[in-house]
Amino acid sequence: MPEPRAFSEGALGDRGASGTTAQDTARRPIVALIGPPNSGKTTLFNQLTGLRQKVANYPGVTVEKKVGKVAFPDGRELDLVDLPGVHGFSARTLDERVTRDVLEGRVEGVRAPDALVLIVDSTRLENQLMLVEPVLELELPTLLVLNMSDELEERGGWVDDGPLEERLGVKVVRTSARTGSGVDKVREFLAADVTVLEPGRSTQPRTLTNVPRGVALPMVDAFTARRARVREVVEEAGFRPPGPSALSERVDHVLLHRVWGPLVFLAVVVLVFESIFTWAVPLMDGVDLAVGASGSWLTSTLADTWFRSLLVDGVWAGVGSVVIFLPQILVLFFFLGVLEDSGYMARAAVIADRMMYRVGLQGRAFLPLLSGYACAVPAILAARTVEDERDRLATIFVTPFMTCSARLPVYALLIAAFIPAEPFFGPIGKRAAALFGLYGLGIVAAIGTAFLLKRTLLKAEPMAFLMELPPYRIPSLRSLGLRLLDRSGIFLKRVGKVIFTVSIVLWTLTQFPRTELGPPLIEDSALATIGHVIEPAIAPLGFDWKVGVGLVTSLAAREVIVGTLGTIYGVEASGDESFELQDALAEAMTPAAAIGLLIFFAFALQCMSTVAVMRRETGGWKWPVLQFTYMLLLAYVGAFVAVRVF
Amino acid sequence: METSVQLPTVPAAASHEAVEDLRLGQVPLRQTVELVSIDLPPHHAEPLLERGLLPGCRICPIRSSPGGDPIISIDGSLLALRKETAACLCVRILEQFQDAG
Repeated sequence: MPEPRAFSEGALGDRGASGTTAQDTARRPIVALIGPPNSGKTTLFNQLTGLRQKVANYPGVTVEKKVGKVAFPDGRELDLVDLPGVHGFSARTLDERVTRDVLEGRVEGVRAPDALVLIVDSTRLENQLMLVEPVLELELPTLLVLNMSDELEERGGWVDDGPLEERLGVKVVRTSARTGSGVDKVREFLAADVTVLEPGRSTQPRTLTNVPRGVALPMVDAFTARRARVREVVEEAGFRPPGPSALSERVDHVLLHRVWGPLVFLAVVVLVFESIFTWAVPLMDGVDLAVGASGSWLTSTLADTWFRSLLVDGVWAGVGSVVIFLPQILVLFFFLGVLEDSGYMARAAVIADRMMYRVGLQGRAFLPLLSGYACAVPAILAARTVEDERDRLATIFVTPFMTCSARLPVYALLIAAFIPAEPFFGPIGKRAAALFGLYGLGIVAAIGTAFLLKRTLLKAEPMAFLMELPPYRIPSLRSLGLRLLDRSGIFLKRVGKVIFTVSIVLWTLTQFPRTELGPPLIEDSALATIGHVIEPAIAPLGFDWKVGVGLVTSLAAREVIVGTLGTIYGVEASGDESFELQDALAEAMTPAAAIGLLIFFAFALQCMSTVAVMRRETGGWKWPVLQFTYMLLLAYVGAFVAVRVF
Repeated sequence: METSVQLPTVPAAASHEAVEDLRLGQVPLRQTVELVSIDLPPHHAEPLLERGLLPGCRICPIRSSPGGDPIISIDGSLLALRKETAACLCVRILEQFQDAG
């Protein structure tokens, strides 16, 4: 398959057409793949295009618009667009809006599709065919794919595709996207029945709604009438729904049990934490060593010029400080992937929903918030699974309060420098208690903020929380592996860009004003000047300009402050860096100011990558600016109070 | 163009007096019932309708989540609801399913 990835930037890139020339896209037909969540849409997409993306049981997980190229033996090609899974076209959720906009040809730089492939889970045929009527109203060549037909028959169900074809007036094929059976028939349809529609036809405006065009019925009646038509069709096709999955019944009996359910849930949360903070550590140390070693190698290879300094002290150090989190994110996503693909995540969301509902969030927010303990960037992306727009915004807003692992090096340094290793309560030492306290502080802030938001800016009556519980399935290693590749790529690309830029800016600030000997000492640099400028503002918190510089550099990523303070306090990088830095800090700061700094870091949004991803996910600067200000204010007040209390 | 004039609650024919006062939340586990109406404003009812919770459909509460929320079987798949939502679903017991399950 020739470079599907480069291709995905083309016809349906975020900023409209770019990589592919206009001529190219004009000649290639566009086919949209539509279907409800969990119908196997993404699996079929992968089978057809060879382009990989996330496959899971968790409803609504496919949100990114993805395009793949399908090539035919005769050299022709077409673009297949994988649309988000939707239940309808009310445009109530982000997914539904994206789907509707693409189908109606309203996405800038994207031509409306020339043909459609509608995929449904045949074990739930009657309900899923509710999508057919609005899709047929688009009057495009359409293929109906009855997926999971093997599962339907295994569980004693039945459907005859002949009458379906006749009644609906579309071609029907049966597939099992998982095993790949029937996929060649989909390919045949694409090869034989799809051509580029004449421009006037494919760009004419269409409207997709749940309520049929020109029918003045109350919504419920419209739905009921449509359902009656669907029922008539499936009855004619001899559709017999499958029996319940006996295995899922038995497993649910334990995993949703009144006592065992929450215990398993807790065990899963503990396992995920354990994996992030214990199992990922050797890998992270490995990355750290590799970054350090390659940096030293560069230093020794290159001549001592400003370029070497930019490369090693700027880019290498900055990017390295973020790449170190990659193993952790991979481990986290591996576990979350297993949970999603097995079908447990939907159950976990149901268990968590009661708790989340109380603070104004909902069960689907559980996954992003849990991910937030590793890194807010993938967590905010994961918040797309939260269907309700207000709930999604609230989830995104509170995610950065989860103690991400970039805070840990800062916490570790300050706690070791200022909190004595004494027993606090029973076997728990003061240091551990302080760390727990900081985690707790984040949770309290998140709950308070969610509570506040849902009563002010995001005030709304709670929408119904509906969660489909898919049958339990054994996750496939291939799908997990593909997802890890995909996710790590996204993380590196999104974060890399920001960190790269911020690192260069910060490095430049350390290079000016130039002296005769070259770059200034750090205390004379432009960066220090910034530290001095903000000193009056942070003086009430007990921070001096040096901490101020650290606060500025930590905007790149929180833990960068550790390296910055090390440089400013003139600690030589002798391997015992943090140990000496602790002594230097213990002399320079009061314990109260240190606690203030800890609390500042618990609250402040010191992470440009998060701000950048928020802007992207909320579609503007309003939310990131509001959030940055809010968290800064909270951090300031928190530190201000702490300095006076302790 | 929006064509529909949406009524506050469900079928036009069913006045409030006529709607039986049995709610899904009160139905014992494994008792198959038929959905009569949804006592929610249209905007809130739409996601339910999209997932097949339509007047006339058959629902069977299969189990309770640990938090006491119902998990129902509908069209051969499992759907979890909140009990607040279940309290808005007016249902009637189907006699032939009285002792089923």
